[in-house]
Amino acid sequence: MNRSAGIYFDGISSVPQKIELILDEQQAELVFVTTGINTNKWAIKEISFEHIGDLLEIRHGSNATSFIKVSDADFITDFIAFLNKKGHIGWYYKMLHLGMKAYISLAVIILGLIVGGYLVVIPWVAEKAVMIIPESYDISMGNTFYKEYVSQNDIDSDKSKALNIFAQQLELNNTRELHFTVVKSSTINAFALPNGNIIVYTGLIDLMKNYDEMAGLIGHEVIHVNNRHSMKMLCRNLAGYIFISVVLSDVNSIMAIIGDNVHNLQSLSYSRQFEHQADEEGTGLMIQNNINPKGMTDLFTRLQSEEKVVVPAFISSHPITTDRIETINKMIRRISYRNINHLELEKLFLEMKK
Amino acid sequence: MENEISDVKNYKLSFHGNGGTFFGIVIVNWLLTVITLGFYYPWAKAKQLQYMYGSAALNGDRFAFHGTGKEMFKGYIKVLVIFGLIYGILFLSIYFDYLYLGLIFFYFAFIAVLPIAIHGSYRYRFSRTSWRGIRFGYRGDRNEFFVSFFKWIFFTLITLGIYSSWMEMKMRKYLLSNVRAGDVEFRYDGKGGEYFIMNLVGGLLTLITLGVYSFWYYKNLFAYYIDNLSLHKNGKEIKLKSTATGGDFFKLIIVNLLIIVFSLGLGYAWVVTRTINFVFSKIQMEGDIDLDTINQTEADYNDATGEDMSDFLNIDLVI
Repeated sequence: MNRSAGIYFDGISSVPQKIELILDEQQAELVFVTTGINTNKWAIKEISFEHIGDLLEIRHGSNATSFIKVSDADFITDFIAFLNKKGHIGWYYKMLHLGMKAYISLAVIILGLIVGGYLVVIPWVAEKAVMIIPESYDISMGNTFYKEYVSQNDIDSDKSKALNIFAQQLELNNTRELHFTVVKSSTINAFALPNGNIIVYTGLIDLMKNYDEMAGLIGHEVIHVNNRHSMKMLCRNLAGYIFISVVLSDVNSIMAIIGDNVHNLQSLSYSRQFEHQADEEGTGLMIQNNINPKGMTDLFTRLQSEEKVVVPAFISSHPITTDRIETINKMIRRISYRNINHLELEKLFLEMKK
Repeated sequence: MENEISDVKNYKLSFHGNGGTFFGIVIVNWLLTVITLGFYYPWAKAKQLQYMYGSAALNGDRFAFHGTGKEMFKGYIKVLVIFGLIYGILFLSIYFDYLYLGLIFFYFAFIAVLPIAIHGSYRYRFSRTSWRGIRFGYRGDRNEFFVSFFKWIFFTLITLGIYSSWMEMKMRKYLLSNVRAGDVEFRYDGKGGEYFIMNLVGGLLTLITLGVYSFWYYKNLFAYYIDNLSLHKNGKEIKLKSTATGGDFFKLIIVNLLIIVFSLGLGYAWVVTRTINFVFSKIQMEGDIDLDTINQTEADYNDATGEDMSDFLNIDLVI
C-alpha cells in the first residue's frame, strides 16, 4: 500500500487541507480523510490526472475544481505505474513521454511528409484540377487579358496578318484556334495567352534573321497553349499556397514565411519545367513540319546576345539560355530530320521584317 | 490602519514549463493536426493551454485550464457557420450586382464580430481557468461592451486613429476590471492620456534611434500594463509591479530571434516558454490579501465560440 502526504482543495475555498493519501491497489481506489472525519474514496477508473513537471494533480469525476496535489516523487511513479497496469493511461500521455529523440524523429518525419506531399501531391492535384476546369475558363481569362492589356498597344495589322498566314502553313497540333498579334514595340518579347492568342513584339522579329527562327518561336508558344501551361501554373501556385498556409501557419508564423519563400522558388522551378517542355516539343513541331530545327537554337543565340545580366537559374522563371541551346542541340543530334526550303514562309517572314 | 502593516503577505509567481516538454507537445499536436487534416486543431490548442496554465504557479500552487478540445471544436463549427454566412452574403451581393451594399455589410459584420469574439473569449477562457480549485470568471456585459466598442471605434475613426490609445485603455479597463478569481476582483487603472504620450514618445524615440529604443519602449508598455493592475477583496488589495528593464527586453528579444532563425522555426517551443518565464519572473506582487481565504463564486461556462472566433481573427488575449 502506497502512502503520501498531499494537499486537498475542496473547490469551495482556497484553503489548503493537509491530507494523507493512500493508494489502495486491492480496491483500486484512492483513500483520504478530510477534516478528520470524512473518509473519501475515489475509484481509480473515475479519476483524471495532470502530471506537469514534478507535480501531480488528481481530480475525480466531472468535478474540475476539487483536487489533490501530490509532490512525492516515489508516490507519483507508483501511482502512474498502477494506472498503467490498469489501462487507465491514455495514448496521449504516452506520446508525451516518448523523449526528445522520438520528438526530433517525429519532427523530421512530419517535415518529410510535408515536403513529399508538396512535391508530389500538389502537382498531381493541380493537374487534376486543370482537367476539371472547363476550357471556356482559359478562353475568358485570355480574352480579358487581351482586352485589358494587349489591345491598348500599337498593333501592326499588316504584320499580324502575315504572321497569321505564316502559322496557318504549319501543322501545329493545336487544340484550339490560334490567333497571332504583332505589337509595335522595341521590347524583345513574345508570349501566349491561355485562349490561344499569341503576342509577338516587333523588337523580337527585328532580331530574327530567318523564317525558321519564327517557326521555332511559334512552336514554343503553341506548346504553352496546347498544354494549358498558364492554367497549370495558376493551379499549382494556388494549391501550393493553400497547402503551405494550412500546414505551416498553425505551427508558427516563422515557418509559414519560410514555407512561402520555398514555395516561390518552387513555383519558378515549375515555370522552368514548362519552358523546357515548350522548347523540346516546339522543336518537335518544327521537325514535323520539315523546318530546320536549328532555327530554335539560332533564336536563343540571338536572345542570348541581347541579355545583359545572367540570372542564376534557381531564381529565374526561365532556364538559362545556354542550357536551353544545349538541350535542343542534344535533341537535334539524336533525331533525324528533313529540311525543305519553304518559299512561302520565307516570303511571309520578309513581309514581317519590313 | 497601523495593524495592516503586519498583514503584509508574500506572493510569488513562477513558471515551471520547459522548452523540451513543450516541444514534445507541439510536435505530437502537429503530427495529429497534419494527419487529421486540421481537425485535431481544437484539441491541440486545449492541450497546449493545459500545459501552459499547469506550468504557471502562484505561491507554488499551479493554475489549471479545464477547457476541452470538444468544447472548442463545437465553437469552431459555430464560427465557421458565422463566417460562412458573412462571406456568403458578400458573394451573393456581388452576384446580384450590389457590390457596395455587400461591402458595407461585410465590413460592418467584421467589426461587429470583434467585440462579441473578445467578450466570448474572456468569458470562456477565464471560466475555464482556476487556481487552488477557485474558478476565475469574467462578468462583463456583452451588450454594454458591444455599444462601448462601437463608440470607441467611431471616435478612433473620426480622430484618424489618435483616439486608439484611449480606446485601448478603456477596453482593457472594462475587460480586466470585470475579471475575478472567486471573490477576488481585478482592477485596471491605465489612462488613455498617459498611454498616448508613452506611445508618442516611444514611437518617436524608436524612429530617431533606428529601433534601438524599442526595447525600452517595450519595457514601458509592459510596466504600464502590469503596474496598473491590482487585485481587491474586502478592502484589501494586491498590487502588481514590473521589474523588467530595457536591457532584460533586449536580451529576451535578441535571443528569441536567434533561436527562431537558427532552428528554422522549430525552436518556437523554447521561445514561448522562455518568454512566459520572463513575464512571470518580472512581476512582483505586494499586498495584504490572504490567499487561503478566497471563496468560490463563479459558475461553469462552456461555450467556446468566442474563444474560437478570436483565434480565427488572430486576436490574442491581453492578459
